[in-house]
Formats: sequence, C-alpha cells, structure tokens
Amino acid sequence: MNKAAFCNRRHLALILVSAALLAFQIALLQLLATSQWHHFAYFVISVAMLGFGAAGSLLSLARDWLLARQEQLLPLLLCGCALTLVAPLGMAQLLFGGFDSLLLFVAASEALRLVAVALLLMLPFALGALAIGLVFVAETERIGSYYCANLLGSGLGSILGLAGLAWLLPQRLSPLFALLVLAAAALLLPRQRRLLQAALFGGLLLVGFVLFQPPSPLLSQYKDLRRALDLPAAKTLAQRPAATGQIQVVQAPALRSAAGISLNWRGELPSRPAVFVNGDLFGALPPGTMENNPRDAATFALPYALHTPHRVLVLNAATGLDLAQALGRGAVAVTAVEPQRAVTATLRDIAPHSFGALLDDPRVNWQSMAARTWLARDRDSYDLVILPTLGSFGGSAGLFALQEQPLLTREALQQTWQRLQPEGMLAMSVWLDYPLRAPLRLLATLVETLHEEGIAAPAERIIAVRGWGTLTFCVLRSAPDAALLARARQFAARWGFDPLLLPDLGPAERQRFHRLQDDALLELFDILLGSSRSELYRDYPFRIAPVSDDRPFFAQFLRWGSLPELISLYGQRSLPFLELGLLVAALAALVLSLLAGLLILLPLLRLPGGGGRRLTLLYFGGLGIGYMWVELALIHRFVLYLGQPVYAAALVVGVLLVGSGIGSALSGRLDGRRIGRWSGSVACALVLLALLLGPLLQATLQLPLGLRVGVAVLLLTPLAMLMGTPFPLGLRRLGQLRPQEVAWAWGINGCMSVVSAALATLVAVEVGFSLLLLFSAVAYLLPAGVRLEERVQSQPHGRII
Amino acid sequence: MRIQCESIAAILILLFLCIPLAKTTAAAAAERAAERHVMVREQIAARGVKDPATLKALKQVPRHLFVPASQSGYAYEDRPLPIGHGQTISQPFIVAYMTEIIHPGPGRKILEIGTGSGYQAAVLAATGAQVFTIEIIPQLAAAAAARLQRLGYRNLVSKAADGYYGWAEHAPFDAIVVTAAAEFVPPPLIEQLAEDGLMVIPVGTPYLVQSLLLVQRRGDTLSSTNLMPVRFVPFRRAE
Repeated sequence: MNKAAFCNRRHLALILVSAALLAFQIALLQLLATSQWHHFAYFVISVAMLGFGAAGSLLSLARDWLLARQEQLLPLLLCGCALTLVAPLGMAQLLFGGFDSLLLFVAASEALRLVAVALLLMLPFALGALAIGLVFVAETERIGSYYCANLLGSGLGSILGLAGLAWLLPQRLSPLFALLVLAAAALLLPRQRRLLQAALFGGLLLVGFVLFQPPSPLLSQYKDLRRALDLPAAKTLAQRPAATGQIQVVQAPALRSAAGISLNWRGELPSRPAVFVNGDLFGALPPGTMENNPRDAATFALPYALHTPHRVLVLNAATGLDLAQALGRGAVAVTAVEPQRAVTATLRDIAPHSFGALLDDPRVNWQSMAARTWLARDRDSYDLVILPTLGSFGGSAGLFALQEQPLLTREALQQTWQRLQPEGMLAMSVWLDYPLRAPLRLLATLVETLHEEGIAAPAERIIAVRGWGTLTFCVLRSAPDAALLARARQFAARWGFDPLLLPDLGPAERQRFHRLQDDALLELFDILLGSSRSELYRDYPFRIAPVSDDRPFFAQFLRWGSLPELISLYGQRSLPFLELGLLVAALAALVLSLLAGLLILLPLLRLPGGGGRRLTLLYFGGLGIGYMWVELALIHRFVLYLGQPVYAAALVVGVLLVGSGIGSALSGRLDGRRIGRWSGSVACALVLLALLLGPLLQATLQLPLGLRVGVAVLLLTPLAMLMGTPFPLGLRRLGQLRPQEVAWAWGINGCMSVVSAALATLVAVEVGFSLLLLFSAVAYLLPAGVRLEERVQSQPHGRII
Repeated sequence: MRIQCESIAAILILLFLCIPLAKTTAAAAAERAAERHVMVREQIAARGVKDPATLKALKQVPRHLFVPASQSGYAYEDRPLPIGHGQTISQPFIVAYMTEIIHPGPGRKILEIGTGSGYQAAVLAATGAQVFTIEIIPQLAAAAAARLQRLGYRNLVSKAADGYYGWAEHAPFDAIVVTAAAEFVPPPLIEQLAEDGLMVIPVGTPYLVQSLLLVQRRGDTLSSTNLMPVRFVPFRRAE
C-alpha cells in the first residue's frame, strides 16, 4: 500500500470511529435518562472524556511498545471498541443488578456501583480513544489533518446520533454504531493476518446478534414508567423513538388521572392512558368528552370561576388537559403551544378521538414550538394565559434541579404579562411541597413581576386558592371588583378549597377545609407580599428568590451554606430526598474527578519528570476546560433561540466540532512557534461573543427557524475554527520539543475535560451561563501565557504533581 | 369404609402438618420480643404515640416476618424497608401513628388500601378491629395473604384488586387507611367512609417526601388536616 492510500485509510477510519463514539454518547445519554434521570447527561459526557483521558495515560506509559505494534493493535482495539459499544449497558445491569441513583446517599455500596458503571461505560471510549491516540502519536507531523478527521467525525457523529434517535430506540442504535467502528477496523486491517481477520469476523457476528436482539434497558424501580408498567394488565400502546426523548404510552385499568381533585367530587374517574417521555410522566390523555371534566373540580379551575375567558393561551400544553378544560369552559379561541412535536404526532395517531379531535377543533391553534420562542414572536393578546403546573405531586425533591426551565424566569413572566388583555389574567398552579420551596419561589416571581410592571401593591392583584395538595394563583391585570371576589369564594366553598390570597381575606377563611400542620405557608406568603421579602430571600434555608434567564434553574433550591442547618433539621439521610438532583450531580462530579485523577494523572506520575510538564499541564488543561465550558454555555444560549434544547445541542456541538476540525486542518499552515497567541485570540473572541451574542440573537429571533439556524452557523463557525487551532498547534510543537509528552498532553486535556464537564452545570447553577462563558475565556488565557519551548530550559527538573 | 379411612388419614396428616405450623406461629410471637419492646419504647412511645391498644399491637406483631429474609436483621430499626416492586414496609413509627390516629379496636371496621407486606393490616387486626385489606400487585397480595394466614389472623380478610374501588360489599367503614400514595383521593373510598369516618392517606411522590393527610367526614362535609411529613423510601436495595 502506498503512503497516500495508507494515510487516507487512517483518516477515514478516524472519521468513522469518532463519529461512532460521539453518536453512541448521545444514544447513551437518552438510555440513562430513561433508566435513571436526566442529570446523567453530564455523567455521560464526563465518562466519555474519562475514557479519552485514560487512553492518553496508557499511551504515555507504553508509547514505544504500542507504537511498535500499532499495525496489529489498531484493528484489535477497534474490534474491542465495537464489542464494548454493544455490551456495556447489558453488562452493567447483568453484573451490578441495575444502578439506582436514589440509593446513592443511603447505601455506600451504591457509590461503588456508580464507579463500576462508570468504568464499564468508559470502556468503548477508552479503547476507541487509544486507537485514535495511537494514530496521532505515530505521525505527529500530520497531527493537524488527523485531528481534523477526528473532529469532523465527531461533528458528523452528533448529527448521526440525533438522527438515529429520531428513527430508532437508543438500545437499537449502539450495534449500528459498532458496525461503523468495525468498518474502521476493516480499513486498518493488515493483509494476511488471519487472526485479526477472525477477530473482526467474530466481532461482526456478535454485533449482528445484538442488532437483532437488543437488550431492553432496566428501569429504576422508582421511575414513573416502571410503576405504571408494574400495574396489573398494563400494556404499552405505543413506543416511539424521538430525539427529544423516547415516548411510551401506557394503558392499565388502574391508571387514572385526576390530579388534585376535590374531596367533594363524586363523579367517575375512568382509567386513561398515560404518556411518558424518557420514562418520566408527561401527562394523561385528555378525556374524550368535555362534559363533567374532573379537572373542573380541582383548584386549576379557579380562572374559569372568575371569568369566562374567550381567548386563551396555553403554554407547554403537553397532552392537552388545559386545552380541553378551556374549550369545555367556553373559550372561543385557544392557542396551545407545545415543543414536543414527536409526542403530539404520536398522540394524534393513537388517540384520534380524544387528542386528535382536540387538535382538529376549529377553535384550536396548536403551535409546535418552545413557549419562550412563541412568546417572543407572538403579538396577540389573551383573556387568560395558563402556564404549566409546577412541581409534582408531593414535590420533586430537587430531581429537576439541573433542568433549565426558561418559562419560569422573571423575563418569561414579564413576556407573558405583556400578552394579557387589560382585563386578562395569568393562571399558574403548583403542588405543595415539604419543606416549602416551589410555592414560595413562584409567588416571589409573581410579586417581583408585578413590581417591575409598576404595580405597587401586588397583594391586590393576586388571588389564590388551596386544596389538599395544590395551589392555584390567578394574577389579574386589573384590580378585582367585589363580584369577582365573591365568585372566588363561591368556587372555593363549592369544592371545599380554602382561599389563600384575596385582597379582603379574613384569617378565619384560610384554613376552613384543609388545616395545615403549621402556619408557615401563610406567614411566609404574607412576608413575600410585604416589604421585607428581600430579607426572606436572604435568610430562608432554601433559595426562593426569582430566577433569571441567565440561571434558569427554578427547581434548584439548595443553598450549600445551609447544608449543616438542613442536616440538623431533617437528618443527613433525609437530605437527598429533599434536594436530590444537585447532590447527585455533585457526587458524580466528585466520583468522576477521583477516577480522572486515578486513571489519568496517577499513572502519569510514573513518567520521568521533565521541566516542561507544568507548562504542558497549563496549556492542555486550559484548553480542555475552556472547550467544554464554551460548548455548554453556548448550548444554553441557543436553547431559547432555536426553541428546542436538542436542536441547540446538536447545532452547537456539530458546528463547534466541524469548525474546529477545519481550523485544525488549517493549523498546519500556521506558525507553530508562537502558539499562545491563538488561544489568546479565542479568549478575546469569547469575551466579544459574551457581549454581542445576546443582542444579536434578540434582533434575529423573529426569523424563521431555517434562517435562525443559518445565523447560528455564521456566528459560531469562525469561533469554532479559531478554537480548533491551539490544540493541534500545541501537540505539533510538543512533538518537536518533547515527543514523549504528546500522549500525556492528550491525557491532561481529557482529564480536565472530565472535571470541567462534571463541574460545568454546578458552576452555571451558582454563577449563571454568562459568567461560565467568561470563565471559559479565562481558561483559554492560561495557554495564552505559555511558551512551551522557553521554560524547558529554565525549569529542567520541575515536577507538576 | 375406605373413604372414611382416607378422611381420617387426611385429617391426621393435616393435624400433623399444623403442629409445626402452630409452633412456628407461637415461636414467632416470642421471637425477638425484646427487640420489639425496645422498638416500641424508643421509636414509638418516645415520639408521642400513647394509645395502649396500638402499643400492644406493635409489641405483638412479629415485624421481622413481614420483611424479606435479606432485610430481617433491620426489621426493628427506625426505617422503612423495601419489599420489592418499588414498595416498602413503612417505618414502625409511621405504622403506629397511622394506627393510633384512626382509633382501631374491637367493633371497628377498617379498610386498608395497599396491603404490601401485610404488616399494617396485622397491626390493625391485633387491636381487635375487623380488617379488610386490598393490594393491587398480585405477587405482593398473594405473599401477604399466605403470611397473614400462616400467622393466624382470623379477623382479617385480604384480596388482590384495584384499591380505587374500595370494598363496597363491606362498606361503610369506620376508618380507611391508605398506605399507597395517589395524586387524588379516590371518590369511591370517600363514599364508603361511615358518618364521622376517618381516612388517613399519604400524599406525595411515592419514593420521596410525603405528607400524611387525615380526611374527616362529618355528614356531607369533608375536611382534611396535614398531620406531618413522612418518607416511605427504602434505605436499602430490594434483594
């Protein structure tokens, strides 16, 4: 084989394996979100980076041995990668009986399971990365073009992963991705090596078997879907893949929906199919008839008791329960906005007479887009705007602490307020939780919104009634008259609810039907409506101040400083059940950081010390942190712009990787000596972007989706190309100066990527996404200050760890 | 004559089989009694449960026989334990609290929704009340029925069914104990509640923090009281 053909094969193999690994990462993300919870998204990214970092360490330690056998090893490693792509989840469940994140804080063995699962899931990434790294190290002079192939492949993989999820369930995708890796192995197969050919054939057979017999993911016993499927005679009516989360519709005779219904309701509650997205309850199908709707006997019916709204806007309409209620209560035009297109299409197919009939009603205008995007573009005004019910039955215990909720920010409520007619109202319900958090933050957000709209006495505009488990607020654009207040009282008395907020409310009225354990709710509400609410925001053990678009984590209530107080109040074992999401993320970050230290940094201590290693650490560590944080901060900024988190993630990751690949390919023509200035340029570009991105996106938000995608690509590509240059330039320079450190540098980059991916959300929760973007600029400044070759002489024997 | 001989033989065999069973039951009552007394004193009475019938029942019922063998060592600890299918046997204090609040005793008719392991039903039965218990998961219902029968509870009837409908044939009930949380209080249960009847029900996410709700019926008027936050989550994995 001539040299050019050899290189071409290696480039193609790199593209295939990189694409497969990234696509697998995306599929794994959905698999873990389904079997566990969505906060495992961050876990998957870190696990993948851990695999890359561990491979870099191994490559550093056994560089010469591996290089000497690269011809045989490359196809073998790729065969191993393919096999572990199809097996890890099955293996994880087989060997460890299914990991359960809810038990993490109550059983030490569960943390060990987490480690074991992380190590198992890391295998395909480690084996694939070892193959990629071997190619890099073997020919450092071609590092730019190989790195370009690696990034191009990853960019393609992000698109492939999402496209795959739109067509197939994630467990069916991994064998397909494994086939790509086997194809890469075949490309690198040396001639007349029977043993290697047999290994490839064996791999093909096993992958083929899994392709036709994919293992079903084991659901945590606490997942909503698992509990529904455990009911007698439960059957799955539909199971559809979707990039936004796999959809399942389950029917069981005992599956009913009547959230928060009054104790006074005496009608039938027929069983209704329930819809699950990634194993979490999305909603029940609406009743076929609008007569005798149980929802009319819940606090959610309060707005209809006050007025008969003609024009209604339902945000995040989900399965259409609020829409059905609005139509049943006499609305003449209802706009329902729901971003989950795939769910809408599924429900239309399987429930043409209930859900389908709702959508076909001439009074209904169903919009498939994100609520915030609709609010930014819509110019109509409404008598009633309904926001989705907050929290879950009994509180969600922080399970969704890391989930961005852009519809619950101050900015979102201001936009919503603008859509109201002069006599209109905003309705929002919340489940009561313990300790009190969500109702307090919601009221705080409503109060602050009213203040910002110039309403000096918010208490005169908010009506709220409380049932045994739910609480519904109606926020009025105009001050209520006596007749309206009387209707609120009649509604409450009819269904046995207690008025909680009314401008002329007497203390005796507040606990007539549902007595509370203590008066905390009432007292805290009074403080929030008074002038000392800022002190309450500051002193309450949980975070209850309104959230902003920059930190849209409405369900993140945990205040780290309050941990000792909370532990003394509720006990150490209870704490995770109050605020699970953030604690799981923190624990996962800790576990992964320890693993990164153990698998990446510790082995590298065995290498002979070199003076430049501290500089190598600074240079490549800074790049690892910076790249990951830029990626995550930009995904957030584009969620609102593109209207779907999954579109934003695909576009940002795809453009950054492909753009970086192009930048990397072009880096071969750049001066490889003054490498620091390229990362300095990235830092400057990031600062510029942090300043200009907001106004630019706002100015073009009105454009159709296709044009907005174009704007995003135009904005991101130059940055991505710039971001693609420092890494290959650094590796090339290091290859010239100290070739034994090339693999180590790669490992450091991987290690820092693990830690930064695990920490990124925790940082964003604390300081916001704008600062995260600026922090990434600071991370890029670290390499800017480094000149690898000069310090080698001045610090010849420095140790870095 | 041959038939008679066979019948006598069958009776003898049954009696023979019952001897070890009776021994087991009697032994069960005595087994780990000291641990139960400590549990009642330190976890239950110390937290304010005072009803003598409730305390006596908790001292009698061998909780360790209601948990999976792998959990038996933790049976008298202050915690809920997993029994499989995502279900738990409640913390002893919660069982005691839910028992005391509905005033069980001889002559009272009580419906329990969510038999689970059967422990709460056994405690209610041990107070002398007539207990009807329903479990929706067939495997749990069968295991609990066999366990309760083996332990000899005569004033207790169980069935596998959807608890939503209650048990209309035996209604009205003086009290209803719902041990499985739901996002609504089933209307048929309210209808099966006697005048001045009480219903105690945990409301909240099944595996997280819940609130214990007491529903009271006074004629046609229904009211509720939030009693306290409770947690029905396991501290260990179901084996």
